Amino acid sequence: MSQIKQANEILVTMAGIGVAQHQGILRTLLGSCIGIALFERKLKLVGLAHIVMPDSMGRCQPAGKYADTAIPETIRRMTELAGGLRLSLSAKIAGGANMFAHVSPNATNTIGEQNVAAVEKVLATLDIPILGRHLGGTAGRRMVVEVESGAVQIHVIGQPVVPL
Amino acid sequence: MNSLTEQQLDSISMIVRFGATDASRALSSWLGREVRVSLDRLQQVSLEKATELMGAVDSEVCACCMQVSGGVNGRLLLGFDDTSGWMLCDALLPRETKSSEWGELEVSAAMETTNIVGCAFLNALSQIFPRSESIQGSAESTSWIPSPPVFVRDYAASIMQFALVDQACAFDQVFVAQTEFSIDGTPVGWRLLLVPDAESLDRLSRSLP
Repeated sequence: MSQIKQANEILVTMAGIGVAQHQGILRTLLGSCIGIALFERKLKLVGLAHIVMPDSMGRCQPAGKYADTAIPETIRRMTELAGGLRLSLSAKIAGGANMFAHVSPNATNTIGEQNVAAVEKVLATLDIPILGRHLGGTAGRRMVVEVESGAVQIHVIGQPVVPL
Repeated sequence: MNSLTEQQLDSISMIVRFGATDASRALSSWLGREVRVSLDRLQQVSLEKATELMGAVDSEVCACCMQVSGGVNGRLLLGFDDTSGWMLCDALLPRETKSSEWGELEVSAAMETTNIVGCAFLNALSQIFPRSESIQGSAESTSWIPSPPVFVRDYAASIMQFALVDQACAFDQVFVAQTEFSIDGTPVGWRLLLVPDAESLDRLSRSLP
């Protein structure tokens, strides 16, 4: 689910997972959710998941929704695309904002923080290093991943683009 | 549970229409023009679809958000694009130049409008919900209390994530009541979204016939 292709661009929507190899763009829009990009640089292989919640609590669908299911599922799809080769992965993560902090300082912030903690825990368990972070704050983000180069850009309205 | 029956949706539609009528009255009085707030649709949609309710996912939109607590907990958002928002400001702020940026005055006008339309909407709903099976369990504890509105200008999908997250934690489909606006018969690009949280939605489904 959740892959909207336009030319060689994949929009990864809420709870979605996108994977691409060699070329193309993966992008996602983030508020309190976390975008996690996984890279296999030698194979020019990238996966991008849009994580909504930290813990599936045993639910398995949609896999992209939860930190503990989205990351393994992204790796599974990347491995499939790589023809079963063993992957050497690194990650970059973004999101976890509390956009209406004055309205609900606790609930949204808690979910954003829990998402970050859950993603970091899963990555640590899988021994995947995090090479870049752009987290927290009160603004939404557009996360854009260029597959061939592995470059990640973070767009925040009214601010300069941040390379990650 | 994550699915309201057709009959339940009809019941909620009737209640929301009642709220929209009161919101129309309040907004007409506030703007000094004939404003009509009407229920566009009640939707149970996937998270993917729900993020598009405020516009194309990476379009830049504005929203004033209020947290709702009491009879039903959740979030109420008045969303609009720049042009529609500035049109609202121009109707409220008597000055020669038209609005073209979100300064303090414009933001205040948008938030006050949200306050008025949101409170009228919620007051009307609170009058009806307790009579329809007392979802709170007590007819006395049915006030719907909104927080002061907060203004943001951001990506449409980012704003919707905030609105949806309390339902998304429990459900894969989300329930959203969406209204449309017109001024003097001309549609304007404002949208009022009511998004109950997961617990309230569950209570609703159990209390409505």
